[in-house]
Amino acid sequence: MLISVTNIQRFCMHDGPGIRTTVFLKGCPLRCQWCHNPETQEIKQQIFYAQNKCIYCRACEECPQGAHKFENDCHFFLRKNCILCGKCVSACPSKALEFVSKEMSVEEILEIVKKDTAFYGEKGGMTLSGGEPMMQPEKAILLLKAAKKAGISTAVETCGHFSEIYLNDLCSFTDYFLWDIKDTDLERHKKFTGTDNHKILNNLFAADKIASSIILRCILINSINTNKEHYTKLANIYKSLKSCRGIELIPYHVYGSSKYMLLYGKENAKKEWIPENSHIQYAKNFLTDMGCNVL
Amino acid sequence: MEFEFYSASDTKRPIRLCDSTRKFSYESLNHKYGKDTRKNPAVSLDLDNIKNIDSFSDLEKYNAGILVIAKNAPLRVCPNELICGAATLGNAINHMLPVEYHGKPLFESYSGISHLTPNYTEILKIGYRGLREKIKLSLGKNISQKQKLFLQSCLHCVDCFEIWHKRYLNKLQNMPGYENQYKNLCVVPEYPATCFYEAVQSLWFTFAFMRLTGNWPGIGRIDVILGEYLKNDLEKGLLTISQAREILAHFFIKGCEWICGGDYGSGDAQHYQNIVLSGIDSEGNDVTNEVTFLVLDIVEELGISDFPITVRINKNTDKKLLRRIAQVIRHGGGVIAVYNEDIVIKALTDFGYPLSEARNFANDGCWEVQIPGKTNFSYIPFDSLAILQKNTLNNYLIDTDIKSFKELYGKYIHNLSEELDLIYKKFVEPLFISGDNSEWKEMFPCTIVSLFEHDCIERGLSYREGGPVYNIISPHIGGISDVANSLYAIKKLVFDEKKLSFKDFMKVLYDNWEGNEPLRQYVLSSYNYYGNDNDEVDYIAADILSDFSDICSKYNSITPIKFPSGVSTFGRQIEWAPNRIATPSGRKKGEILSGNFSPTPGTDKEGATAIIKSYCKADLSKQVTGAALDIGLLPYNVRGEDGLDAIISLISGFVTLGGYFMQIDISDPKILHDAQLHPENYPTLSVRVSGWNARFVTLNREWQNMIIEKSAGKL
Ligand code: SF4
Ligand code: SF4
Repeated sequence: MLISVTNIQRFCMHDGPGIRTTVFLKGCPLRCQWCHNPETQEIKQQIFYAQNKCIYCRACEECPQGAHKFENDCHFFLRKNCILCGKCVSACPSKALEFVSKEMSVEEILEIVKKDTAFYGEKGGMTLSGGEPMMQPEKAILLLKAAKKAGISTAVETCGHFSEIYLNDLCSFTDYFLWDIKDTDLERHKKFTGTDNHKILNNLFAADKIASSIILRCILINSINTNKEHYTKLANIYKSLKSCRGIELIPYHVYGSSKYMLLYGKENAKKEWIPENSHIQYAKNFLTDMGCNVL
Repeated sequence: MEFEFYSASDTKRPIRLCDSTRKFSYESLNHKYGKDTRKNPAVSLDLDNIKNIDSFSDLEKYNAGILVIAKNAPLRVCPNELICGAATLGNAINHMLPVEYHGKPLFESYSGISHLTPNYTEILKIGYRGLREKIKLSLGKNISQKQKLFLQSCLHCVDCFEIWHKRYLNKLQNMPGYENQYKNLCVVPEYPATCFYEAVQSLWFTFAFMRLTGNWPGIGRIDVILGEYLKNDLEKGLLTISQAREILAHFFIKGCEWICGGDYGSGDAQHYQNIVLSGIDSEGNDVTNEVTFLVLDIVEELGISDFPITVRINKNTDKKLLRRIAQVIRHGGGVIAVYNEDIVIKALTDFGYPLSEARNFANDGCWEVQIPGKTNFSYIPFDSLAILQKNTLNNYLIDTDIKSFKELYGKYIHNLSEELDLIYKKFVEPLFISGDNSEWKEMFPCTIVSLFEHDCIERGLSYREGGPVYNIISPHIGGISDVANSLYAIKKLVFDEKKLSFKDFMKVLYDNWEGNEPLRQYVLSSYNYYGNDNDEVDYIAADILSDFSDICSKYNSITPIKFPSGVSTFGRQIEWAPNRIATPSGRKKGEILSGNFSPTPGTDKEGATAIIKSYCKADLSKQVTGAALDIGLLPYNVRGEDGLDAIISLISGFVTLGGYFMQIDISDPKILHDAQLHPENYPTLSVRVSGWNARFVTLNREWQNMIIEKSAGKL
């Protein structure tokens, strides 16, 4: 059984306590317009094309589908022709063309995770992220279980949108949850992520009864969810949870936008979504005043 | 008044010291006293009316020079300073004896002594009166004429020390506000120190006198040297901990009196003023005490990076100390590095040092390990990549074919061994009278530092002529990561994947990759080089180091000089770059490659933990004088409590895995770029250069760019 993994990043310091190795799984049920990891949205394989690494050697021209065209020293990648055969990827000398994900077994993943055992100490370990790890629910749970068995602490960063039948298993093999709350407003949630937030909140409340530690991760997107009503609802959610250790505010940034380039050949950055530093501080103070522990 | 000290972190530096101390620090870091020191480069023998200098022996010239310094060097007492004495002659900053004769340097080619950590404990315990007794005792023995002249020079230098000391006493006697300073100097350094304040004054005064005469000594285990005095004072209620902090802070601030700004190539702070903290004593007990924490408090608050601090860590190091270190490291500047003392002590005892000596190790000013107060140390750096390129691969003008990786590796080790033989013949053999491997040749005099090194006085021999207990010349291999990467690339491309023949590949390299960009891109992007926790290449590096150390060990029993191996570049990757040609790992001619035992910039893709793992695969206990690893982190990586945990975990992992020495610098390439454009906004921003730190704005462009590239690699 193989898991679609886009990246395994060692030495992560903000994906749960201690030094962690974060495993990014491919596929997500949401389509947040501000997504920082667009390559993890689709569950199916994709190809990155990094124009800045391309040396125009034309080795990829051998594509049987004619998906790589060269005109006037320009390289056009006609993605719609591509059948993902991988020929161009192996031919490209500079890794300007790369598959987004790799199919890996639990053992292969764990082998990499274990490389940093010496640095995990009491708190560090493995974090599953994505995408939404629970888009591959059985596989994700197997991986978590195997990590626990190997004595490695586990964290899961989830958008919360998955079938509740997995909740018990998930909680029993997860030490820390990083639970994303994109928006507390149902309509906006639907508009900007493609789904409403019912399931997410229901899962959160259900998980809270059995999970040992939850941190709420809340993205701040200027002019979308940077308002008092949202913060008030957030604070109420926070207060109704028993295992929540705090709220982490994640201001929208544009760093993820280069990956849109790699995938779709166009930018997706929206500078107007970046919240002002003063507003971030305001949000922090507001939530703190409402009795939340803001991390 | 507010004095800001630059921090890379958004956590503010704490304020514990009083305003006048903070002001003193701010002014010193902003060149006030360094500029003052530069004003007087040297004193002149003409002042002493010396005429017939040509008839003087070197030792006589030296003696006359020290005397004229003692009598005439400007005295400086800074406003509100708690400890007195200053190294006020500008040429000393340049490592010269600051004495002139008829407008020319007294010695044209003389350089002072550095790379040593003297024995300060002795002067604190017996004062210079005690030293004098020791010298007289040796003079009374049955000794040669040469020994007699040396010991007489020792007596003379103690007298000069006294002259300089008494001039300060005279000056302070009637200065209002300096009553305590005067009182202390009535005791030390002439007599033993009786309390912490006197001990700090004595330590500083001795250090300053050595510096005044053109030497750059280190400090060493300051918590061992001063710990007992502070403990006693605190127990007796003579001093509070915050008073002690103020006093010790002035020691660190005064240590900045040579900072003069401007463009000095490798920075403005490379005077090897090492500090070593914590660790075990010769009996194996933990020495960590209040002084350890005071030092951390002081550098945390003032951001003083001029004393490169290394903390000795072991598996049992207290969590509280680790946390304090992490807090200080987080402010950036690379102020604090760590030794894994378990490995260091093993390296030293395996090499043959007695355990009790090994346990007391300090370093030479950067991080090359030595036994303090007993060692004459120097190191010989060499470029191991040049050996591969020029000797093994004949500048890629290869006419013989190499058939296997094993053959290639064997040839390289053979060439390495030839190079070491040359180094030994060039640097060690000439120190002895030919035909005799134990009789030292006469060297330039260096009596001042000899006073503070065992067993110079006992043996009647100077520091440079076999006086110290241990005499070390350590060959230091540089460019090792690039040799491993080069061998690995050849192995993969030619012998494993057989993409092209050995000869064809040499042709590609000879052409500096010209016309072979796809192949170059392939080599750059397809292989995981040293620093990514890839066994295949990491063990090539490990094997070379192990073989290197075995070769060196053959030279240990020929002369009294020992020849232990070590790994370093100390920034020499910059000066080596123009002579290096294309590398099989995809680099073109002239690129600046790896420093110390760190990965080549741009090749480390897996982050700090992978770098540490790659580094630790080598048996570092075979690198007796050390092997340094540089880790750069972004301020973002280490923010908040998680960030502190991360630094602690990195250090703990480093110890568990068998690391030797690691320096962690926190810097943001964006900020460094801005500092290049607007140096005026960043006067106190300091960075780790190699074994030392410097204000970033005082580095020249090449060095600045290297630091930026190093820090940008982690993005
Ligand atoms: S993966 Fe195959 S079909 Fe797709 S572009 Fe590359 S060569 Fe063409
Ligand atoms: S093979 Fe790679 S480098 Fe060459 S043209 Fe295609 S994408 Fe560019």
